[in-house]
Amino acid sequence: MKAYRKKVQILVLAIIVLIGGFVIYDSLMPQGKGVTLNVGDQVPSFKLTSIHDEYITLEDYNGTPLVLNFWGTFCEPCKREMPAIEAQHIKWKAYGVQFLGINLSEDKITAANYAKNRVTYPIALDVNRVIEKRYGLRSYPTTFFINADGSLNSVVSGEMTEPMLEQHISELVNH
Amino acid sequence: MLLPENTKCECGHQNGVGTILCESCGKPLDPELAKSNEVLEMRYDGVARPSQKANPNFIDKIWNFFSSVKVAIYLIIITLVLVIPGAIIQQANTFLSVNFDPSTYYKETYGTLGHLLYLFGFHNTFESWWFKTLLVLIAASLVICSIDRVIPLYRALNKQQISKHLSFLKRQKVVYSGALPVSQEGFVEQFRQVLRKKKYRVHSNGQALLAEKYRFSRWGPYINHIGLIVILLTLVFRSFPSLHMDDYVKIVDGDTVPITNTNFYVKSEGFNIVYYENEELPENLQDEVRIKAFETDVVLYECISYCDDVTQKPELKPLMEHKILVNSPLSYKGFRLHQFDYDLTPRLNAVSPSIVDKVTGETYGPFYLSMFDPEQYYEVGPYSLTIIAKYLDFTIDSSGEPTTLSNNPNAPAFIFNIKGPGFAESGENYIYFPLEKDKVRFAQDSINRDLSDLIDIRVLDMEDVQFSKATTYLNVRYDPVVKYLLIGAFICMLGLTMGSYWNHRRIWLRIDEQTITIAAHTNKNWFAMRQELATCLKQVDIDVDQKDLDNGGNKT
Repeated sequence: MKAYRKKVQILVLAIIVLIGGFVIYDSLMPQGKGVTLNVGDQVPSFKLTSIHDEYITLEDYNGTPLVLNFWGTFCEPCKREMPAIEAQHIKWKAYGVQFLGINLSEDKITAANYAKNRVTYPIALDVNRVIEKRYGLRSYPTTFFINADGSLNSVVSGEMTEPMLEQHISELVNH
Repeated sequence: MLLPENTKCECGHQNGVGTILCESCGKPLDPELAKSNEVLEMRYDGVARPSQKANPNFIDKIWNFFSSVKVAIYLIIITLVLVIPGAIIQQANTFLSVNFDPSTYYKETYGTLGHLLYLFGFHNTFESWWFKTLLVLIAASLVICSIDRVIPLYRALNKQQISKHLSFLKRQKVVYSGALPVSQEGFVEQFRQVLRKKKYRVHSNGQALLAEKYRFSRWGPYINHIGLIVILLTLVFRSFPSLHMDDYVKIVDGDTVPITNTNFYVKSEGFNIVYYENEELPENLQDEVRIKAFETDVVLYECISYCDDVTQKPELKPLMEHKILVNSPLSYKGFRLHQFDYDLTPRLNAVSPSIVDKVTGETYGPFYLSMFDPEQYYEVGPYSLTIIAKYLDFTIDSSGEPTTLSNNPNAPAFIFNIKGPGFAESGENYIYFPLEKDKVRFAQDSINRDLSDLIDIRVLDMEDVQFSKATTYLNVRYDPVVKYLLIGAFICMLGLTMGSYWNHRRIWLRIDEQTITIAAHTNKNWFAMRQELATCLKQVDIDVDQKDLDNGGNKT
């Protein structure tokens, strides 16, 4: 009887700790519908087609720092910052920093037409906002600075100036 | 309690530590208590609770903490007080807007106090870790309090002795004592018959008697607690994303869209508002616009391959079709799609314009031009067209450049490089607005200048325009565990009913020489208990008023 009671006690307490622990742990986790990427997290992988009909995946950039810029032709600030990104792209080429623009689910003609003669870094095409959602975008433009090991170094929402870009990229290179 | 204690009763029964009344004969064990003449505390019939142990170890101490009703009450009061601000200030998760900024909203709306409450996390009370922790503690207390009490109660009620100690009877709240009116066997038998008519289950041994009814009402509170635990556990499981979903999909007529976090795709064959016909309307409402139904014809698909690969077209397998009405959702294996909202703004999908040679009057085409996924190159009669730019929502930006305002075809425009009769060898740029209103608004002909004298690109027939009439908004729900909330609520109610509408009543009779002692106990409604006993006694020719049966210690 005594031993049986002891077992019941331990069993009941264990169940409470297990379920209760889960509930409390769950409430401590960041909530919300969207995905939130934190600095240091591995960024989500993707496989997209470029405006030149080539496949582009995140794995292609393994081992090199990557500046990932989400943009669309309907987004004024995205277009305004593109010359700055292009200038930085030329500048950091020698340091092995890669640049990739992901278009916000427009069609190939629209994206290619805008990118042509403006930028020389590759442009990939998101479809139905799938990758955008995977990266938890809240506003346009958003730029992710990704370390060579695939972890997030920093992220900027909104239009960037060249000095801002420069600073984020130097951090990326010195990582 | 720390000293070893003699817990053996004079009747020979060995009781556990903490026992107040002998589990067998009911005699008070504590010598102090035995001497007194006070009415007995009958909680769990005096049986010790598991938490009353002589040498509690670490686990016992945790157990004892939660087994205290006092702790439970404090926990409930703390929770009640802490949720008050959460019930007054609007909670952050009720704002749908992405632009909502809690760090300024509470200061602006509720002042400094509001900002202070925000800083302490009261803007997110019901998702906060401390609220959940309190709920877990209350649930733990609920379970442990119940187990700690239901076990001794069950043991006490399950093995009751018919013959109880005289002092046990004398110190009940309802007691009658008097001379034996007839023979011993005759009286016990007579009283037994009377009690049986009152639906008591009677056990007797010739000189003592135990009558009992509605014992099940004692289990009411515990069944009620089981119901509460079922509800709490259901809420825990409902927080798993795979077991609960409440989302919205927007579908333009004719489109097929994926349902987020599922393998399903849904296609809208069209949203429709159905109006009442005149025959269906009464006299005074003739020719009035009365809505009969909002309906969306949908097809549900399951993705079978290329589901995660956005570079490929997903392969879909149709599962079912349904006409969704307001009270007739599509339902598939627990998934439900409810009609939620609509938008009657049409969307242009494609046009099939023809090229008219203004010089000869000859017409070429038509050619198919999709708004979303157009071909780059077209050959139409003697002309060749290459799209060099496309704007879905055409406008001229601050620097004078053509641009698009959005990704929706509100004012589509195409810039073609056209080669053909009358055009320069290398081709010339020509802007085309598929919508007539935009042609005028953006002055297509003056932008194209003399090219507009050469050709006209236009739609000749309304059938050459493809558009979606409406957009439907569906609410996606998946809630397979919600039925357990109802089951929990039912168990709760069952427990409450059992405990509220029946009372557990017991009557003991004992004959010592020529004296009869009758005692009664109930878990509530003592007045009715005394009344019932008085009625029973009257039928064995003992006339006693219910008030005289009152042995004190009663509140009712």
